[in-house]
Amino acid sequence: MDTITTAPADPRAHLTSPATRAVLRVQHRVLDAVREHLGGQGFTEMLPPVIGPVTDPGARGAKQVDVDYYGHRYKLMTSAILYKQASLTAFDRIFCIAPNVRLEPLETSSTSRHLAEFHQIDVEVAGASRDEATTVAENLVVHVVRRIVERCAPELDVLGRDPDAFADLLSGRAFERRSHAAAVADLHDTGHAQNPDAEIDWVGEAVLSAKASRPFFLTDYPKGSRGFYDRENPAAPGHLLNFDLLAPEGYGELCSGSEREHEYAAIVARMRETGENPAKYAWYLKMVREGIPSSAGFGIGLERLVRYLCGLDAVWQASAFPKIPGVVSP
Amino acid sequence: MTALRADTFPEQAVRERARTGAAAAFPPLSDYGGALLGEPEASSPGDALDATRLVPPVFMPRRLEKLIDLAREPLHGDVGLETTVGGFAARLPLYLSAFGSTRAVGTDLGRAAAAQAGALGIPMVVGENVVPVDGYTGERSLLARISAYAGHVPDGVGGVVVQQSTEDADAEVWNRVYSDPATRPLLESGRLGFELKVGQGAKPGIGGLTVVDRVQADRLADQFALEPLIDPAGDRVLRCASPGTFTEEILRQQVRLMRNNYPRARVWVKLPPGRDVAAAADVAWQAGADAVTVDGAEGGTGWAPTASLAGVGLPLAECLRRIGSPRGCLLVSGRVWEGLRAVKCLAAGATATGLGRAALLAVDENPGSGLIRLVEAMTLELRLLISALGKYHPAALSTEDLWSPAGWPVPAGRLVAAQG
Repeated sequence: MDTITTAPADPRAHLTSPATRAVLRVQHRVLDAVREHLGGQGFTEMLPPVIGPVTDPGARGAKQVDVDYYGHRYKLMTSAILYKQASLTAFDRIFCIAPNVRLEPLETSSTSRHLAEFHQIDVEVAGASRDEATTVAENLVVHVVRRIVERCAPELDVLGRDPDAFADLLSGRAFERRSHAAAVADLHDTGHAQNPDAEIDWVGEAVLSAKASRPFFLTDYPKGSRGFYDRENPAAPGHLLNFDLLAPEGYGELCSGSEREHEYAAIVARMRETGENPAKYAWYLKMVREGIPSSAGFGIGLERLVRYLCGLDAVWQASAFPKIPGVVSP
Repeated sequence: MTALRADTFPEQAVRERARTGAAAAFPPLSDYGGALLGEPEASSPGDALDATRLVPPVFMPRRLEKLIDLAREPLHGDVGLETTVGGFAARLPLYLSAFGSTRAVGTDLGRAAAAQAGALGIPMVVGENVVPVDGYTGERSLLARISAYAGHVPDGVGGVVVQQSTEDADAEVWNRVYSDPATRPLLESGRLGFELKVGQGAKPGIGGLTVVDRVQADRLADQFALEPLIDPAGDRVLRCASPGTFTEEILRQQVRLMRNNYPRARVWVKLPPGRDVAAAADVAWQAGADAVTVDGAEGGTGWAPTASLAGVGLPLAECLRRIGSPRGCLLVSGRVWEGLRAVKCLAAGATATGLGRAALLAVDENPGSGLIRLVEAMTLELRLLISALGKYHPAALSTEDLWSPAGWPVPAGRLVAAQG
């Protein structure tokens, strides 16, 4: 895959190109398949808020966007996580297609896989464990990919994407689950200097992803690498009961998820560990203090999933109106 | 020159250096040949560090090494002062300490100090609460100080370190700086860092304090606690930031999160002079901090309760004693304004010393070159004193170079390291 850093200057040229139209039809089918699968599993689709007094602080190094809400500083949502947890007081199994805005560091403009505006297929299940959440994610991805192979052959043909790329994914073999520590050891063996206390960096992720022929889970990230809501493993302090799902062929991360912290004192302590000021999470902490269900869930990057399905060079090609970090665009 | 005062600080001596530079490192030239010199009168009551003396040896194996290297007798000019300060190349073992949003730092002083620190090729820390109180852009802003520094710093040296405290986290100072096109040249040249503010010297255990007027107070009411009692007759209010809650695990994870979120920035941690300063420094270094800065209880640029200034927190000398042999880069500040105290700090384990009040007074005296002249005098003193100890780089200094009437207890680890 080439590194492409610039979006098309002209939205008309982008929207009318046969490739973009094929990609957007695939995206439409992906959303159909998500709703078909999760609807059949008893999930309720909810519409997530776009603004709120506080949002997910867990996006590494990305700036949030302030909105003046009648004199109060509100935020555009960087993820739906706080609202997903709160929504479980209404339904036990929910999902949403959530728009997110993150002013990512400029260095992400050349990763081919960051957008400042993107969507997540967000799923949360009350009472679920991390392993149950990975099963939901795996079944969802397999279903979506199967539907695309079944129903989007003409689009994949336009894009030059060989459906055989998904043979291993659709073979019925379970996705591999590998711990963060094992992945770090792998990377160290290849000579890549991965920080063992941090998120797998983009180069490292690409290395691991390129070696795989079907998606795989990385689990048990170290605590300092994620937001306060990923649950710390009581049996292995310092490690989180969380996961990422990585696509093969070098496409990298598709999805992040976790079992969640849901107990008040633990969340306040974890907020401090992530440098947050609990005062600004007043509405959320009030709900937590009064009790929210334990849960596990995940968010799949919609544009990243479509990029993988379509075999695109860069994630911006999977967006009708792409916003690459730092690039001024419509 | 403004109305800036520092009554408990050798203000006049600092101002003289800001005017005359290295000449002030000696008695007046008019005394030469006429005056009989002795120990100068102490300009302030002094602390344990002042009571400590540098003690050059008679036998100097390191000087012999230098002589062999140079093929001539070494002089003070042969002392190399370039060093690595918290991950940044620095021309001197010095850095500009944080000034916060306090009124002692007007528009011109903050920017003037930044420009001169840049020209000197030493790192600069920008204090907490600048963004919530003074804004991100504009005359007194964070970006104005960073731009002034970046406009004067030579290639390959220096660095800008931006503090963040608990309330700054609400303003997302680090995220904003890290994703700002204006700071990209610093980031890409490896000269951007972030400092987690755990506490400060002047008021250990208490957060940042600023006196603001009612109008400003109303604007800040959502973010900060306000204390109206300090000005019953007027309209001024004390704005109180929280110091933030820390445990070993909170500090460890915050440092790790900084490294995770800002992989291309250096990570500094600023500690107050707490009784567990050594344990806290170790946690920070083990979590991967590039530097730990310790502010002695000697004061600072910020507003503080008189009671804190009078009797809260460990003096810098005791912080240095408790930390002993540092596991990583240790940066200290606390009433440093001339070379003697700086060399004592370096010998006691610090990699560099910070200039806070001294830098403010120097740029107040002369906004164009006051800090540069102050540092010119310090540089000469550093070279003279380090060479007097028979050493030619600050890293060669150790507690063997110190003597005090009370003794300078040497932790076992340091002895082993020194002998090894």
